[in-house]
Amino acid sequence: MSGPPPPALSVQGLSVRLGTHTVLHGIDLLARPGELLALTGPNGSGKTTLLRTILGLLPPAEGEVRVLGRPVASLTARERARRLAWVPQEEAPRDDVPIYDYVLYGRYAHLRPFARDAPEDVAAATTALREVGLESRARAGVRSLSGGERQRLLLARALAQEAPVLLLDEPTAHLDIGHQLDLLERVGRLVRERGVLAVAALHDLNLAARYADRIVVLSRGRRVADGPPEAVLEPALLREVWGVEAVLRRDPNTARPYLFPRRTVEAAPARAPGGLGRGPVHVVGGGGAAAPILRRLCDDGWSVTAGALPLLDSDAETAQELGLAYVAELPFAPLSDEVRARHRDLLARARAIVVSPFAIGPSNLGNLEDLLPRDPAVPLFLVGDATIGDRDFTGGRARALWDRLKAEGGTPVRDLDALLAALGGAFSRAS
Amino acid sequence: MASPSAPGAPHSRRRRLAVAVGLGLVLFVLSPLIGPVPIPPATVGAILAHQLTFGAVAGAPCGARVSAAQCAAWTEIVWESEVPALLLALLAGAALGLSGATLQGTFRNPLADPYLLGLSSGGTLGAAFLFVFQVGLAEANVALPVFAFVGCLATGALVLAASRFLGGSVETLLLVGVALANVLSAVLSVVLLFNAEGSIQVSFWLLGGVGGASWDRDGLVLGGLLLASAPLLLLGRELNLLQLGPEVAQSLGVDTRRVRTRLLLLASLATAVAVAFTGIIGFVGLVSPHVARRVWSSDYRAVLPASALVGAAFLLAAHDLSGLVVPSVVLPVGLFTAFAGAPFFFFLLFRHRRGEFMGSPP
Repeated sequence: MSGPPPPALSVQGLSVRLGTHTVLHGIDLLARPGELLALTGPNGSGKTTLLRTILGLLPPAEGEVRVLGRPVASLTARERARRLAWVPQEEAPRDDVPIYDYVLYGRYAHLRPFARDAPEDVAAATTALREVGLESRARAGVRSLSGGERQRLLLARALAQEAPVLLLDEPTAHLDIGHQLDLLERVGRLVRERGVLAVAALHDLNLAARYADRIVVLSRGRRVADGPPEAVLEPALLREVWGVEAVLRRDPNTARPYLFPRRTVEAAPARAPGGLGRGPVHVVGGGGAAAPILRRLCDDGWSVTAGALPLLDSDAETAQELGLAYVAELPFAPLSDEVRARHRDLLARARAIVVSPFAIGPSNLGNLEDLLPRDPAVPLFLVGDATIGDRDFTGGRARALWDRLKAEGGTPVRDLDALLAALGGAFSRAS
Repeated sequence: MASPSAPGAPHSRRRRLAVAVGLGLVLFVLSPLIGPVPIPPATVGAILAHQLTFGAVAGAPCGARVSAAQCAAWTEIVWESEVPALLLALLAGAALGLSGATLQGTFRNPLADPYLLGLSSGGTLGAAFLFVFQVGLAEANVALPVFAFVGCLATGALVLAASRFLGGSVETLLLVGVALANVLSAVLSVVLLFNAEGSIQVSFWLLGGVGGASWDRDGLVLGGLLLASAPLLLLGRELNLLQLGPEVAQSLGVDTRRVRTRLLLLASLATAVAVAFTGIIGFVGLVSPHVARRVWSSDYRAVLPASALVGAAFLLAAHDLSGLVVPSVVLPVGLFTAFAGAPFFFFLLFRHRRGEFMGSPP
């Protein structure tokens, strides 16, 4: 019978009980070789329990774990160790065993009982030491290692097992940021080069998003999300599972999602996003010039709209995060007629308009053009009047428009505080 | 192991081994000189040479001035009593050292000793039952080791079985061992309460000693020791992995439960053969593994044989001392191991308080 090769790891309907308490409920999971899978979830969500059950340290109450098609429960300890390698969260060696010997411990499952270490065992240990960058320390004692090096030692020992599945339990929990990145870089490289499956329980969502090919989220013992980082990490899930309001950005270097936690859900003020405050105030911007204004206005309880912003730039992301109505155009593309029409729509509804100190080029000059003709009843604030000359990349056309706006009653304001004072003044006069 | 281990280069370790073996040899030769009956050293040497070469060397070991009857008596004393006694000291010491190292490794606890699982109480109770039946002295000589041996092993097996039934963790094992030891002590007290004569004999037995050694008994001890040590010495790798914690050991492929049971049964066997013929000799099993680790390495493949060697040397030295302190009286050897061992025990506790305890000896 020939079919597709069995998945490296398959977990089916797995439930685990500790005493009378059910810790995992019907977990399903399939993973292939060459994947770096991050297992994440809040404290007590069952990450470690799942890893320990996969490893055979805990018996499942229901369901089954298979490694390369074989049920883990049917394997002997040795057979298991040849298929599954474990990097524990931490391990404090009691004896000052030489590093090389410690890595050689990983070969135990490959040795015939009572046999001496064969050349392939020596080779596996040496290779593993080289891959974690400890080969020059091979003869030193393990207690001479720093925390980061010790974690690499545990990784080396797991590599010496030459198992197709690598399980890591919070491998970076006790490491500083530099060593966290270093360790996960190495794991990622090993996954690509050796084609192993790595399953890592990771607390840090940003590390998970940066290095994992796939993220599985556990919450209260259930699998609540499973997929590539950009699909899994979204604000609703973060709010629901972790109780955190978070903003997602994209790391410009890796294109992976990056998360800025802002407030826990309980601590956030009862503010309807972009909604019911005074206003609406419309902010014209782009390139990051509008973001602080948007944030400050929202925090001060204004109802805010924005446009026309380049998609994916930080102004657009801030508007998205704050839940504002805004108009966006593809990055670097000239504003299309359709976008400008929708932008004019927002402008028409605004009860005040703020022009942020954004850089003006031919593609977004329309943002200024659409402010004319002015409705004198709607106050217009021009932030950063002094720098208009430096921000004009249109050969003077932007400056001409700016001057015309000023002439038609636009109020130049120096900075954010001046803007808020002016806005407050305008509205109190109006009401 | 393909690479030399870190603490101490191999040649220095070999030198330490040579020094230890040399010291042991000196003790060995010295010990027959020390006994209740003064025999000239040269004569002891000649008797040994004569016996070891089956009479080929030193035809008249005692010299011309000693009568044939006297010489026969001296030969009898040296060859049939003192040599077997020192061999028994060596064998029992080795068994206790090996057992202590095994138990400390299995429990990952530097305070574990061969009597940890209640084996001493079991052995003593076995011996005491013998006196309940009021057997004659001649029979007692034969039966006591048997009763003690059975008492020891039965206790060990009982503790293992009970802890397995209760879940099999290391903590359970220790608690069951402690509980059972207390129960057995209580039973012992009851038995002795109704048997005054037995209580004197039992208390002497409790002090431990190598008196009453014979070639036959040494043979039995050697047999038991070989039976226990041959498989034990092959479990050094497993003991090394157990030091990483039961879960890590299991993740590396050690069937921790089965290995632990095997280790404890073998350690109980080694302890039981020693206890059966020497009574309760304390501290040898506790101290020897520490010395072995300190002098050689923390690798259990070295610690096990080294601890056996240290144990043998320690008990032999105690045996020698026991004949020296009070002229022409041989004190129970267990007294001397306690005198030397107890201070060491306090030293360990002292280090524990300073937080260095769980770490390896530097």
